[in-house]
Amino acid sequence: MLVQIAAALLLFQPPQQRTIAIDERLAADAGIAIGDKLIVSAKPGDTGGDTVIVSAIVKRGADPAEIARSEYKVRMHLDHLQTVAGYGDRVDRFAVATRGDSATSIALRDINAAAFGFEAHLSRDIAVGTSRTFQVVSRFHKAIGVITIVASAIFLLCIMLLKVEERRRDVAALRLMGISARTVVKGVVTEAALLALVGSALGVGVGWLASQFINWYYQGLYRTPLYFSLVTPSIVTFAVALSLVLGIVAGLLASLRLVRTPPLALFGR
Amino acid sequence: MSLVEVRDLARDYRFGADDVHALRGVTFDIAEGDYVAIVGPSGCGKSTLLNLLGAIDKPTRGTVRIRNESPGSMRDREATLFRLRNIGFVFQRFYLMPTLSARENVELPMAEAGLKSAERSARARELLSYVGLAQRERHRPSELSGGEQQRVAIARALANKPAILLADEPTGELDAKTGAEIIALFGQLNADRTTIIVVTHDDELARAARRRIHMRDGVIVNE
Amino acid sequence: MVLHLAWASLRRHTSRTLLAILGVAVAAAMLLDMVMMSTGLRESFRELLMSRGFQLRIAPKGTLPFDTDATIADVGRIVATLRLNDDIIAISPVLGSTIHVPIGPRTFTSATLGVNPAVQGDYDLVSGRDPAAVNEIAVNDDFVSATGVKVGDTIQVSTGYDPQLRTYSDSRAMVITGRVRFLYGAANQLATAMNLSTVQEMARRSDKASLFMIKVRDDADVEEARAWIERAVPQVSALSIATALEQVDQRLSYFRQLAFILGTVSLFVGFLLVTTLITVSVNERVGEITVMRALGVSKGHIVQQIVVEGMVITLSGAAAGLALGLVTARYLNGILASFPGLPVAIDFFLFQPKAAWMSLGLLSLSGIAAGVYPSWRAASLPIATTLREEAIA
Repeated sequence: MLVQIAAALLLFQPPQQRTIAIDERLAADAGIAIGDKLIVSAKPGDTGGDTVIVSAIVKRGADPAEIARSEYKVRMHLDHLQTVAGYGDRVDRFAVATRGDSATSIALRDINAAAFGFEAHLSRDIAVGTSRTFQVVSRFHKAIGVITIVASAIFLLCIMLLKVEERRRDVAALRLMGISARTVVKGVVTEAALLALVGSALGVGVGWLASQFINWYYQGLYRTPLYFSLVTPSIVTFAVALSLVLGIVAGLLASLRLVRTPPLALFGR
Repeated sequence: MSLVEVRDLARDYRFGADDVHALRGVTFDIAEGDYVAIVGPSGCGKSTLLNLLGAIDKPTRGTVRIRNESPGSMRDREATLFRLRNIGFVFQRFYLMPTLSARENVELPMAEAGLKSAERSARARELLSYVGLAQRERHRPSELSGGEQQRVAIARALANKPAILLADEPTGELDAKTGAEIIALFGQLNADRTTIIVVTHDDELARAARRRIHMRDGVIVNE
Repeated sequence: MVLHLAWASLRRHTSRTLLAILGVAVAAAMLLDMVMMSTGLRESFRELLMSRGFQLRIAPKGTLPFDTDATIADVGRIVATLRLNDDIIAISPVLGSTIHVPIGPRTFTSATLGVNPAVQGDYDLVSGRDPAAVNEIAVNDDFVSATGVKVGDTIQVSTGYDPQLRTYSDSRAMVITGRVRFLYGAANQLATAMNLSTVQEMARRSDKASLFMIKVRDDADVEEARAWIERAVPQVSALSIATALEQVDQRLSYFRQLAFILGTVSLFVGFLLVTTLITVSVNERVGEITVMRALGVSKGHIVQQIVVEGMVITLSGAAAGLALGLVTARYLNGILASFPGLPVAIDFFLFQPKAAWMSLGLLSLSGIAAGVYPSWRAASLPIATTLREEAIA
C-alpha cells in the first residue's frame, strides 16, 4: 500500500531504530498495533522498501481539508523520509515557533529579507489561503439560509393572514362593541409576538438537537473530530430576533388588513 | 297512493347527558299537488320533521316513504342522489353560493345531475324568468336583495323538477312586502302542480297553504 | 361546474391565494434545486468522464488520478502490456507537471500536461493545432489572458526552479501552436499541453506518467478490462467510470444528504402551507358545503372541487417555482463552482427534465393530499345539525 508521506518531525533517531507513527484511522482499518513491523516505500506496490516499527498511534487533527479524503497519515523522522523519498537534503517547508506576536513580526521580516528565494508566511494567512473550500461551503450554506428565511417569512405571513382572518367575526363583534382598531391590532400583534417567542424557543431546541445529531453523524461518517455544526449564542440571538421580527410584522400586516374592513362586511353583510 | 307517507316518525337527540325527543311519532300522508304548512311554536319539531322528509337527517324510529322509496334507510350516497332528483330545498337564509351568479346557482343541482351545459343554462334562464328574475341572472347574491335571493333559491330548488319542494321558514328573513311576494310565488308554483311543504311561523304563509299541520312538543295536535 | 366553483373560490380571496402560490413557488424552487443537486454533480461528472469516450483511468496504486504527486514508472512497458488486450483500442498516457514562463518582468507559473496529441482526451482544440512536435505547446484562454501571448508566439518554458539562485533550469523555447480548452481544468487556472516526451524530459521523469486514459471497444466488458489491467499491471489502480463516480459520491455525499433533507423539508413546508390554506378555507365554507350536500351534491364532487383548489395553488406555485428554481440554481451553482480545483465543466445543479417532472409529481401529490382530508371531513358533517349550527353562528 502506498503510504502518504506527511511532513517530517523533530527528533533524530539512530538508524537501527527506525520507527514511525501512524494515524488512528490507518491503525483501525489495517489492524495495526504499536510494535508491528511495516514496509514503507515511495514507490507504489513496492515490497522491497524499508522495514519500520510502529511506535505510536496519533489522533487525527480537526482539519477540514481532510474531510471526505480517505487518506492515511504517517509521521517519520525527517532524515528517514528524505532517504525513502529520494529527496536528498530538502524539505517542503519549515515551521517556525516564536515567542509572542512581536517576535513573530520580527522573525517574518528578517527571514524574508535574508532568505534567498524563500518566503515566510504567518500560519494564520496560510490557513486562510488553504480554507477556500470551506469558504465556498460557508457561502453556500449562507445562501441556503437566506432562501430558507425568505421561504419561512412568506409561509409565516400566509399562515398569519389565514389565522387572523379566521377570527374576523370575533374582530367584527369587538369593533361593533366599540373596541378601537388600535386595541385590536395591539392584541393580534402581542399574540403573534408571543407565538413567535414560543416558536423560537422550540426552534432553538430543535436546532440544537439537530446540530448534535449532525455532528455525531458526520464525525462518524468522515472519522474526524471536526465540528460540522455549532449553535452559538450569537446564532441563537439572531434566530430569535429574526423570528420575532417576522412574527410581529406578519401579525401587524394581517391585523391592519382586518381592521381596515368595515365590521359589518366582516360579518358578511 | 300518496306521494309522501309518514308512519310513526320519531327523532331523538343527545345533548350531553340529556336525551331530547324532538319528534315523538308522527303519522300523515301528503298527496301529489298538496300545499301543506307545518306550524307550531319554536321547538315543536317542525324543522326536524322537514329535515327527515328532505333526507338530510335519519329518523330514530318510524318511516318516511316518498314515491315509494324510503330515504331514511338509505346509505349516504343513495340518499344524496335521492335528494338531488326528488327534493327541492328552500332555506330561511337562502344559502346561495356567494361566488356564483344567480344563473350559476340555479344550474348547480343540474350540473350535479349531469345535464349538459347548454341544457342547464336554458333551463336556468327559464326558471329565473318564472320567478321574475330574468334580467338579474348575472348578478351575484351580494348584489341581490333578500327577496331576490330567495327567488333564486326557489328557482334552484326547482332545477331538477323535484317531487316535493320543502321550505324551512322561507319568509323568515324577509320584510312583509317581500314575504308576500314569496307567498304569492309559492301559490303560483302549487297552481302549476308543484307539491309544497313549508315550515313556518308566518301566519300569512300558513293561511296561503291549502292544508295546515299543527305541531306541539314533537307530535301533531291538529290538522 | 367543479372547476368553475374551485376557480370562483380561489378568486374570492385573491391576496390569500396569491400569497399561498408564492409560498408554494418558493418551496417548489427549493425542491427543484435539491432534486437537481442530488443528481446533478454525479451526472455532470459522468458526462465529463464519458465526453471523450475513455472508459477507464489508470493511476498509481491506491490513488485517484492527480490526487497525489505520485507517478507510474515504465510507461513504455505498460503500454506494451496493455496492447496485449484486444479489447483496449486506445491508450493515452498523461504526465502532469508545472512550468514557469518568464514574460517581460514577470514569471508565470502554469500547470502542464504531457500528452500524446493523437489519442489525448484532456482538451478540446479551440483554435490552431495540436502541439505535435517536441518544441510545441498549446495554451488555454486563462494563460493567454494572463500572459498576453498569442498563437504563433515563441515562449521560454522551464520546469526546474532554484529558489536560492532564483534561476530556472531545463529552459527551452516552445512555439504556441494552438488554444485549447481543458476538459478537467479549474476556473482561472493557467494550463498548457505539450508532447509527453517533452514534459518527461523537462521534468526529469523519464518514462513516467501521472495517469493513463484507456478506451475499450464498445462491445467489451469494461469491468473485465479493468480487472485484467490490475492483474497485468500490479503497481496501478484501474478505475472505471462507475468506480470514479462512487468515489465522487463518497467525497461529496454531504451534498446529496443536504439535498435530500432540504428537499424533504421544502416538500413538507409546501404541503403544510396548502393544507393550512385549504383547511381554513373549508372551515369558512362549512355552511356552503353542507348546503351543497343538502341540494344533492355528492361528497366525491365536493372533495373534487376542493382538491382542484389545492391543485391550482400547487401547480401555479410549481410553475412559478420552476422559473425561480432555475434562477436560484444558477446562483447556487455559481457559488459551488468556485470550489478550488473543481473542473469548470462540472455543475452541481444540472437541469434534467426528469428532475423537473419529479418535483412536479411530488408537489402534485402533496397538493392532492392537502385537499382530501379537510374536504372529506367537511363533506361528512351531519347536514341537519351543521345547518342549524351555521344558522346560530
